[in-house]
Amino acid sequence: MMDILTSFTFLIVAVGTMVLAFAGGMVGTISVMKGQSLIGDAIGHATFPGIVLAFMLIGVKETYTLAIGAVLFGILAFLAIQMITSHSKVTLDGALALVLSSFFGLGMALMSFVQGNPDFEGTQGLNDYIFGQAAYMLRSDVYLIITASFISLFILGAFYNQIRIYVFDPVFSRTAGINNNLMNFIILVVTILLISVGLKAVGAILIVNLLIAPAVIGQLWSSRFSIVLLIAGCSGSIAAFLGTYISTAGQDIATGPAIILTLSALMVLSLFLAPKGIMRRSIYKRRMGGDMP
Amino acid sequence: MEEDIITIRDLNVAYQDKPALWHINLDIKENSRTAIVGPNGAGKSTMIKTVMKLIRPVSGNIKIAGRTDKGVLKTIAYVPQKGEVNWDFPTTVLDVVLMGRYVHKGWIKRPNRKDKEIALKALKTMKMEAFRDRQISELSGGQRQRAFLARAIAQDADIYVMDEPLQGIDITTENLIIDVIRQLQEDGKTFIVVHHQLNTVKEYFDHVVILNKTVIASGPVDAVFTEENIETAYREKGIRT
Repeated sequence: MMDILTSFTFLIVAVGTMVLAFAGGMVGTISVMKGQSLIGDAIGHATFPGIVLAFMLIGVKETYTLAIGAVLFGILAFLAIQMITSHSKVTLDGALALVLSSFFGLGMALMSFVQGNPDFEGTQGLNDYIFGQAAYMLRSDVYLIITASFISLFILGAFYNQIRIYVFDPVFSRTAGINNNLMNFIILVVTILLISVGLKAVGAILIVNLLIAPAVIGQLWSSRFSIVLLIAGCSGSIAAFLGTYISTAGQDIATGPAIILTLSALMVLSLFLAPKGIMRRSIYKRRMGGDMP
Repeated sequence: MEEDIITIRDLNVAYQDKPALWHINLDIKENSRTAIVGPNGAGKSTMIKTVMKLIRPVSGNIKIAGRTDKGVLKTIAYVPQKGEVNWDFPTTVLDVVLMGRYVHKGWIKRPNRKDKEIALKALKTMKMEAFRDRQISELSGGQRQRAFLARAIAQDADIYVMDEPLQGIDITTENLIIDVIRQLQEDGKTFIVVHHQLNTVKEYFDHVVILNKTVIASGPVDAVFTEENIETAYREKGIRT
């Protein structure tokens, strides 16, 4: 056990996923509060064909190229969702399901085409982008994650006041001179960025959980926006550390599921123990003879 | 109070193809307490949202204190209708009131002690000091309305635009809101309030705009709030509230 904890490779990968999960938890909290958590899910799945296509075009699994492919497909997916909802009678959840499944289907089709094809070499690692495999993360993967996470957190910090007002009361925010479209754009860009760089660590299918679960945990523990953000970030980091450890220790366990299971455990725990969780509520009910306000 | 603080000329607003407001010509007197009344679907909310530049009109022009630029909106405090706010957002009453100070702070600057003092004073005016650390989701309808009026007061605007502030609140809050409106009028503020109870218009307001897609009548309550004008506005729907 100590071998793993002190190994340089493990440490750097753990730091990478922890930073990613911290930023993801914070950004995800904003999306969840805006009622847009499933947009992250659709974008997560939709980035996968971007990875495979970027690989097909360049021929090597180079960190930055694949990330650019993922970002482009994330944007494409968002535009597709927008176009479907504004030009047809399909509702948002319909559009999300449609985009999610067709983009991911495209990714799977491309991957199976590439994998059996003698024209492409070194395809075996592509699977890692579906469920995540921290053990095979390169140093460059981790650097990219850290850079992207810091950029995201910096943007979030710079626009903290505006985003807070915008998410709470969009009408007031417009009248107060805040550019709502810009706020929406920032939240979206940061979400796509984090998803794209986190794919190798957590995988396209589960990455959305890194955005949603910490938000749920944060909201159970606090009633202050800043504290909710902080708790969300920290719970993401804790889960990332434990998940990466489990995945590295048992070579065959993908990192995505390991992190997400840890997060789910934290969530269940919070659901029972947190101030706004089930247990406290029922105690309150028994003592006061009424539901909590 | 002779000056017009808002002048609207030839305003037409449409949702997709459906006209919502047409040929609106209207002057709002400075330092007045102006009620906007009319049947459901008359375009009352649409009109104030257009004034707040939340809806883009098809044509026409709106001048606020002689200005048409976006910056002038900072001199207006808008108290939203209930449905427009994300009630599950984790924030305290004091935080909400402090948001009103954002208008004077801009980009990066955080509220300082003076802003906090102003916010606390606003809460006191609305008799909400005891609720300053309360979660916004835990408030009753009346308390929420008070919190939002406190935010508007903290914003220290010249014009207050309120969308049905008396809808679904207790009588104590209603009286308090009307008292505060009167006090602030004495400080030179102007109020534009979408109002749904015709029986209290005379008591609560000094000017009235009777609206049904277009302006049926507008002016001092005593002069224009007549049976005849109300009849004209409400005839189509056949409802009187």
